[in-house]
Amino acid sequence: MIYARFLVAELRRRPGRTALTVLGLAIGVGLVVVVGALSAGLDDAQEEVLEPLAGLGTDMRVSRPLAVPSGGTSGPPDFSALSEREQRRLKRENPDDLFAFEPGELGSPGERFTTFQALSSDLSFPESTVARVARLDGVVAAVPALSLQTVRIEGDVPEENEMVNPHASYDITSLNVTGVEVGNSTLAPVTQDQLVAGSYFSPAVAKARGQVILDAAYARQNRIGIGDRANIGGKRLQVIGLAAAPLGGAASNAYVELGRLQELTDREGRVNVILARARSTAAVDSVRREITGAVPGGIVTTATDLAERIGGSLSDAKDLSSTLGAALAAVALGAAFLVAAMLALSGVQRRTRELGTLKALGWRRLLVVRQVSAESVVQGVLGGLLGALIGVGGAALLTALNLSLDASVAQAGAVGFFGQGEVTSRSAEVVIGAPVDLWLLLSAIALSGLGGLLAAAAGGLKAARLRPAEALRSVE
Amino acid sequence: MSKREESEMASDVEGRAIAYELEGATRWYGDGAARVAALDSLSLTIASGEFVAVLGPSGSGKSTLLQLMGALDDPSSGTVRFEQRLLGGLSEPELAALRLSAIGFVFQQFNLIPTLTAAENVEVALAPLRTDRGQRRKLALGQLDAVGLASRAEHLPGQLSGGEQQRAGIARALARAPRVILGDEPTGNLDARNGEMVIDLLEALHRELGITLVLVTHDHAVAERADRVLGLEDGRLVSDSGLGDRLEVRG
Repeated sequence: MIYARFLVAELRRRPGRTALTVLGLAIGVGLVVVVGALSAGLDDAQEEVLEPLAGLGTDMRVSRPLAVPSGGTSGPPDFSALSEREQRRLKRENPDDLFAFEPGELGSPGERFTTFQALSSDLSFPESTVARVARLDGVVAAVPALSLQTVRIEGDVPEENEMVNPHASYDITSLNVTGVEVGNSTLAPVTQDQLVAGSYFSPAVAKARGQVILDAAYARQNRIGIGDRANIGGKRLQVIGLAAAPLGGAASNAYVELGRLQELTDREGRVNVILARARSTAAVDSVRREITGAVPGGIVTTATDLAERIGGSLSDAKDLSSTLGAALAAVALGAAFLVAAMLALSGVQRRTRELGTLKALGWRRLLVVRQVSAESVVQGVLGGLLGALIGVGGAALLTALNLSLDASVAQAGAVGFFGQGEVTSRSAEVVIGAPVDLWLLLSAIALSGLGGLLAAAAGGLKAARLRPAEALRSVE
Repeated sequence: MSKREESEMASDVEGRAIAYELEGATRWYGDGAARVAALDSLSLTIASGEFVAVLGPSGSGKSTLLQLMGALDDPSSGTVRFEQRLLGGLSEPELAALRLSAIGFVFQQFNLIPTLTAAENVEVALAPLRTDRGQRRKLALGQLDAVGLASRAEHLPGQLSGGEQQRAGIARALARAPRVILGDEPTGNLDARNGEMVIDLLEALHRELGITLVLVTHDHAVAERADRVLGLEDGRLVSDSGLGDRLEVRG
């Protein structure tokens, strides 16, 4: 086919121009493929992170978080919206000042002292509320939990009348602890499935009282292993298991038997979390409404809510890939289109006399335009194929790099009421891949073809406008 | 008697059909004060099968005349008829079809496509005819053989001498069996020996095939070989020799 032979000959005649066009489009397409693959990888990672929730699509968490006082994150909480009884209860559970204790009562001046405080940003409620929730229409199970932050304060008893800056003088460590009803190992703040080492609580409460399950990351960080003892609220409990942290579970470094935690923190009969399971995902919305009615001030968090609260570098990366990455790919592709179009235009300019000769030989305008355009389209397709290769290579490289990001879900409302200024959160680390699927590749090649068509249109229009006589007069 | 009637009478007298008929053909470039007339009210008739040389200095309008005759350009005013068809009334595809089927061009710079072999250059001219590949190839090789380039068919233009390139250009022009060959300084880029060889070739084709041959040249030796010599100066026809007083010079 002489047209094809002519086309190939022309592309080879100007290798620099052809390479520049093809490479420009290839880089644009490659970027689109890599960004697309990375985006798919981030989607997969998010899915992986939420996978534990997906299996629990019918589960929800009920709590009564305090509203954060407006205008800042410090200062005493605003209790005014609560009933007087609740205000009294909360004040008993959460001292206004973390350091309201009297060090002098802990020993003689200069002696070493250790004291514990247990704080909660959630209002507690009687355990009987759990039974009320369990009876609601559409609810198949409801279990209580108590999620607290225990703060261990250690230091020397000051001299009488000595002014002490507690933050500077005392050693303060905090630990998030959740009390678990051990009878239910599937619906609980920590479940059997989450265990990565060791075993779950003994079903016998008496035995479970001496046991603790630690968050695997926390244990690793503090070099604590199975069989070791961990100090929880001043009691040394035996570490029987290590659990991976699913997003959406109560934010805890340690899980202990519920009754034991209530006892240690002077909260007998009180819980601040109810985990409830709806009959079906379709019933989730109605159950949520029922629970909100049954637990005044209760906030019901579902898996969907949690998915929306995913944070951390995974979320940042996802935002980055969907904004900056997409913008970068779009700019690169746009630039490649522009370069291709400009080169096609200048190609026609440089070949003016040749195209004029073709017209003099009896080539119709349409035929000349087709020939010029076909060159751009072929360059577009070549750019697409090369770009697909670059993209697949880039995506494979990203996958090989084994990049990991962390994903977290911030717990609502826990912003420094009591001076400690901490936000409790649960995080997980996920490895990011960059899977390339066929559709992504085909779309990218089609995009490059579109770039080729745009260039073809630019070059073709210019070629169409050439007047044969003027074209023949031009000097190459 | 109208000019048209005079022309028809002239062709009757000559006994040959009319290939070209120009009436008041004018072509100017630019606008306003910068307007320059490359051709100025040119009227002439060329009979089919004539060998006409157009002689004149640079800028006299020779190439412009050839472009009007080759249906590559439109006159700013006046008319150009080819075989009695008014070129100004034809659409772009019709003009392309006319160039494809009836008119062959030979250029001073040869205008061969540098990336294609001599044979492929001839094939490119045949491409719009939609002949099958084998037949097109055979035709191309036949034309190259006719101009003595059979052994150079697979050479790129850059591998051919100037004379060979021009012969390839002539083979390309002849490939579609045109009724007219328009040559714009076909020997302008050739040495005397190659130039003479090319003119010999064109003249032979004209004689053997009866092709109307119009050559623009400023070489008097080439002009002397023609049946008729048109002299142009400043876009105007100043002389018409060779056909005696049978054709009237107008303009």
